[in-house]
Amino acid sequence: MSAAATAPAAQATRPVLEVRGLVKHYPGAKALDGVDFDVRPGEVHCLIGPNGAGKSTLIKCVSGIVEPTAGEVLVSGEPLPVGEPSASLDRGVATIYQELDLVEDLRVYESIFLGHEPRRGLLLDRARMREEARKLLERLDHPNIPVDAKVGTLRPAAQQVVSIARALSHDARLLIMDEPSAILDAGEVDTLFDVVRRLTAEGVGVIYISHRLDEVPRIGDRVTVLSDGRTVASGLPADTPRDTLVEKMVGRRVEQLFPERPVPRDEVVLEVEGLCRAPDVKPISFQVRAGEVLGIGGLVGAGRTELLRLIYGLDKPDAGEVRVDGRRLQPGRPGASIAAGLGFAPEDRKSQGLLLDWNLTRNVSLADLGRYTRHVLLDRAAERRDAAEQLRELRTVPDDPDRIVRELSGGNQQKVVLARWLLRECRVLLLDEPTRGVDVGAKTEIYRVITDLAKAGLAVVVVSSEMSELVGLCSRILVMREGELVAEVDGASATELELLRHAVAPTDSDPVLEENA
Amino acid sequence: MSTAPEAAAPQRSSSSRLPKNTRGAIQEYALVGVVAVILIAGAIIEPGSFLTSDNMLNVLRQASVVGVIAIGMTFVIATGGIDLSVGSMVAAASVVGGQFADSGSAMFVLGALGMGILLGSVNAGAIAYGKVVPFIATLAMFTMARGLALWISDKQPKSIFDLEFVRWFGNGEVIGIPSAAVVFVAVTIIGWLLLNRTRYGRYVVAVGGNREAARIAGINVPRIVFSVYVLAGLCVGIAAVLLSGRLSSASPIVGNLYELDAIAAVVIGGTSLAGGRATIVGTFLGVITFALIFNLLTLMDLAVEIQQVTKGLIILAAVLIQRRER
Repeated sequence: MSAAATAPAAQATRPVLEVRGLVKHYPGAKALDGVDFDVRPGEVHCLIGPNGAGKSTLIKCVSGIVEPTAGEVLVSGEPLPVGEPSASLDRGVATIYQELDLVEDLRVYESIFLGHEPRRGLLLDRARMREEARKLLERLDHPNIPVDAKVGTLRPAAQQVVSIARALSHDARLLIMDEPSAILDAGEVDTLFDVVRRLTAEGVGVIYISHRLDEVPRIGDRVTVLSDGRTVASGLPADTPRDTLVEKMVGRRVEQLFPERPVPRDEVVLEVEGLCRAPDVKPISFQVRAGEVLGIGGLVGAGRTELLRLIYGLDKPDAGEVRVDGRRLQPGRPGASIAAGLGFAPEDRKSQGLLLDWNLTRNVSLADLGRYTRHVLLDRAAERRDAAEQLRELRTVPDDPDRIVRELSGGNQQKVVLARWLLRECRVLLLDEPTRGVDVGAKTEIYRVITDLAKAGLAVVVVSSEMSELVGLCSRILVMREGELVAEVDGASATELELLRHAVAPTDSDPVLEENA
Repeated sequence: MSTAPEAAAPQRSSSSRLPKNTRGAIQEYALVGVVAVILIAGAIIEPGSFLTSDNMLNVLRQASVVGVIAIGMTFVIATGGIDLSVGSMVAAASVVGGQFADSGSAMFVLGALGMGILLGSVNAGAIAYGKVVPFIATLAMFTMARGLALWISDKQPKSIFDLEFVRWFGNGEVIGIPSAAVVFVAVTIIGWLLLNRTRYGRYVVAVGGNREAARIAGINVPRIVFSVYVLAGLCVGIAAVLLSGRLSSASPIVGNLYELDAIAAVVIGGTSLAGGRATIVGTFLGVITFALIFNLLTLMDLAVEIQQVTKGLIILAAVLIQRRER
């Protein structure tokens, strides 16, 4: 295929992937800020780091989907053409994404050759596809997967093997696996590891991304830690002690980012009792007081967002109830929750929180239009005036109420969402990842706003994947793991290390998920 | 697009507080330019017969039936939906009105409006609560409503020549202006107020723009979706009264392809088929544009097939312009 393939001697010594000084800036945020690491042929290189550390951006740069702002990506010593995913495929870089990107209705052999089907004349060469699919699966030690089965009928682990076979069908020399174990149970993870070992025995280099630190020594040769877009440790041996890795992940201390912690009052505003919805949220109970900032920590997929959605009424719980000021909320009715004083800033502002093509006024007033209805028609002057006032108080930039929300930075868009609930004079604010995609300066602003609101008597619930944020901001922190509340920690004395320990699965002989959710 | 800047300039200066955003607004003005070009071209090609007040009022009268339907359609499309059944529903509403013809004009009107609302509610229920895709639900109603119209009427048109009040809607005048045109303009104004100046209108566009965000803001999304199809049904009922009045009969075979005319007018007006952006003024101008072109080509004695090709080209051009603005 290329020079490297015909010169195995050179390939053996040269890394299959070299990343040097990689930087990627998005408008208003630095996703990557200096990444260096390399992957040798036949090696499993683990990549770990907290959420938002830049792992996905790194993958996108390596697989040619996004163009780096600066730095180099060398595949077998050659620079990767930017912005051309097919070019990296041609060079033997294949990626298996966290959400399996297989078409469920296609058959196994069709999935493996999707996009590069062997043909005879104008027609697909089905016989050859079947035959080669069988060979690939055999190579992966899974000849038992029927090549004619529809992908949707296979178990997740088998689907993953199909994904890997697809990567192999491109003659992959570098395989990037993004949290492949996240959807597998313990036995399936063992199977996955066997497949990975077979690949490395053939000389394929593997980047293995995982949240589960316990997997690092089991499968990895080396490990690189990414934090805040930088490689804080590159190419450590995989048997580096777990606590050392966690400390590296937590990284530099955040200085003076957080205002003084508000003091909760006595009065309980929000009560959650036995709220659950299978399979994401097991029965959960807690209370939040006026003036309190309650944090909910945990890993992605621990059920935090799902819990907020249940409280707010976006999903119907299987059981349990929510009370605001002692009054029970109607389940599954966001309108009723809002009337009772709840406000919700969803994780994905752009797709869930805002109407991006609307101006600021309309976005702010959307939940409170009743207030501006005079004899059927809207009093638009009052609407605009009040929205402007809320935006000004939150120091939104720009605070021109006629501007289109799409033009604002992430932090200011978040303020627009907050302004909506302040206009509504809500009593409880549920914030899901309030600073995601927001740069450091704007984060400080949002922390200040949250603290001010709590001081003014609101009860605030903050879900965050950034442990430092919870430790710096919250009066009290709950930790969720696999749909359950596993710990309650006092915010003033909590450490990130402690939260992370609660959030990851306990270290025992089989450290992977105990059960398949 | 070359007509847009000239058309836009005077409009912009007249209203300094215009939001800088709205692509819909730009397109409205583009259509003002298009209408102007047609008027000038018509005055040159057919001097003495096109640009006369009689002919212009005639254009308005001809535009009124599809126009009223298009106003309702604007609300449906604003939510990201579509209603393919409006043409058949006009026939069904007209026929049901005709069943009450012996009881007088008021009963005719009530029957037609009632049938429009009823059929619209069936669409609405299937889409909002049955979660049927709007295209399919209204395609089903497209054939059902036509079938009902033929069945109830026993395939025969019924003369309503005695119903003077209904006929007045079709052929009468209010201070020299055709009453059908008055109804169309009134429906347009009410539609404009509803869409732009009420909470309801804001909710409709929000649902079309971002369903999840609308839901999180506390909007009862299924209720809003339900309401727009009922509204479309009501507009169909009004259109059925205007049409029956003009024809002096309740006929089961009227309304063919009205859905396409209405959708085309809405789309060239600048309302986004994806939802979330809607303009009543644009729809009004879209209806007028088609009516003027139809009228001019008829005056020029051009064959129907040429008119059809022209109409298709206009739709295509309008959608291509929308694409480019995006």
